[in-house]
Amino acid sequence: MSVRLGVELGKLAVANPIMAASGTFGYGLDLLEFCPPERLGAVVTKGLSPKPRRGSPTPRIVETAAGMINAIGLQNIGVEAFCIEALPVLRQRGAVVAVNVFGERMEEYVEVIERCEREEGIAAYELNVSCPNVTAGGIEFGHDPAQLERLTRMGRAATRRVLWVKLSPNAPDLVGTARAAVDGGADGLTLINTLRAMAIDAEKRRPVLARGCGGLSGPAIKPIALRMVWEVHRALPSVPLVGIGGVETGRDVVEFLLAGASAVQVGTAIFRDPAAPLHILGELERFCAEHGIAEVRELVGALEWH
Amino acid sequence: MIARRDLAVCVAARTDLSPTCFRLTLTAEGPVEAVPGQFGMLSCVEGFDPFLRRAFSLAGVSQRRGSTEVEFLIKEVGKGTTLLRHATPGSELRLLAPLGNGFSLDPGAHRLALVAGGIGLPPVLFAAEVLAGRETRFDLYLGAANVAELLEVERCGKAAAAVGGEAVLTTDDGSRGEHAFVTTALARRLSQGRVYDRVLACGPTPMLAALTELAREHALETELSLEEPMACGVGVCLGCVVELADGRYVPTCKEGPVFPAARLAARWWP
Repeated sequence: MSVRLGVELGKLAVANPIMAASGTFGYGLDLLEFCPPERLGAVVTKGLSPKPRRGSPTPRIVETAAGMINAIGLQNIGVEAFCIEALPVLRQRGAVVAVNVFGERMEEYVEVIERCEREEGIAAYELNVSCPNVTAGGIEFGHDPAQLERLTRMGRAATRRVLWVKLSPNAPDLVGTARAAVDGGADGLTLINTLRAMAIDAEKRRPVLARGCGGLSGPAIKPIALRMVWEVHRALPSVPLVGIGGVETGRDVVEFLLAGASAVQVGTAIFRDPAAPLHILGELERFCAEHGIAEVRELVGALEWH
Repeated sequence: MIARRDLAVCVAARTDLSPTCFRLTLTAEGPVEAVPGQFGMLSCVEGFDPFLRRAFSLAGVSQRRGSTEVEFLIKEVGKGTTLLRHATPGSELRLLAPLGNGFSLDPGAHRLALVAGGIGLPPVLFAAEVLAGRETRFDLYLGAANVAELLEVERCGKAAAAVGGEAVLTTDDGSRGEHAFVTTALARRLSQGRVYDRVLACGPTPMLAALTELAREHALETELSLEEPMACGVGVCLGCVVELADGRYVPTCKEGPVFPAARLAARWWP
């Protein structure tokens, strides 16, 4: 049987529910020979700031059980270079582009959005308020519902395009921050970003990463991500959710959809297999075919509570 | 640029070279092209333990009839490399290759110095065997902690001899060759008036730092193959960055792993 893969995230309809996650797919054009961006539901760019960022000192990454910890520090080429160098190619290829937006101050988020508003070919913005690896900005807005609502409102005022907020699993009140983002005007929520984590070198008696702590990703965090998607979906059933956290297989996607996500992002899996998003999409399609699921969207929120 | 591919490869042979190091020979269907200095990301296991692929410099790529033999020299340092040391011949692995850039092996070179320390040998050996085939003259400096950890001595000697070059062996404990660091052996010959167009090197960081200093003293163009912790190998995770002299962080996997010593930031200049 043929499976209809398309899903809707509020007003944004995408051809399939698989997206490449921010920070794992460059600016959408780095892995063309393995994963052409136009074949995905959407590609989310590396977090973009108004000016290029140098990022954190090294070591920046460490492998852990079923995952890894990173502290990249949002190294990026800046919004201007993205708009000039990458966006025209993405547009010409027909990719659905979501720009991940980062700033150290709230005004900088608006600055990034305003620069992007001058360009065609951007479908959505994803506010990054959950990166655990920068000292200023980002996470402080993501942990305090009042600040998050204000930031989202500022982003909302700057664009009529789809606006997502990427939530932090480290926030003291997940549902509270989710609600704040929606109250501020977000069209959807992406969850979860990495979990604040640490690796220690027993012999050197030092943290492995130069910054001491970083963000944990990979299959190790999937059960937490599923629980959080489910909690937010239960609290805010009409809000489109993009699930992310340790997606490695088509079956993982099904689990996120059942928990209430309308789409998923594939992140760290790309580091193991640059064609992971396409492989996962193929597996999802096969799973649906084998289980008599005609439309992927049937799965969204279809978890049966016993 | 040679196209990157994610290859299904088959374990053809494993050979112990030292108490800690082994040669892993893999077969890929069809042609695979690569230049010395480039590397591959090799899967160790199907599941999530270890989670990431491992980055290894290519030690050789030979075209066979209908297939390609890809060679790695690997030091057993942890779970992934232990699994590879015990990989069953005939088992299948994934290899993302070729990645990164290579050494400058310009045909006009009068004489090159190739320098390898310990398990830094693979890209240097690959370069030596390619240069030997092109009849470009070079001397090969191979250093290790002790005689047991001097790898592929015969092949190194044969490649250098093929172009009338010298293969200089050194050990830290004097158990074979000169009782010196490999960089000391090179320094000695430089001060005796030996002239090189370029130095190509791979090895532990202290060796590369000493070499950088030597290169500066003698105004020698020097290319270093670096190793950094790496997740993706294809430039998207930004985990493996090195700091350049201009202050930028660039991914080793994409802009390297071979860098002119003069391009690197001060931490490489002792």
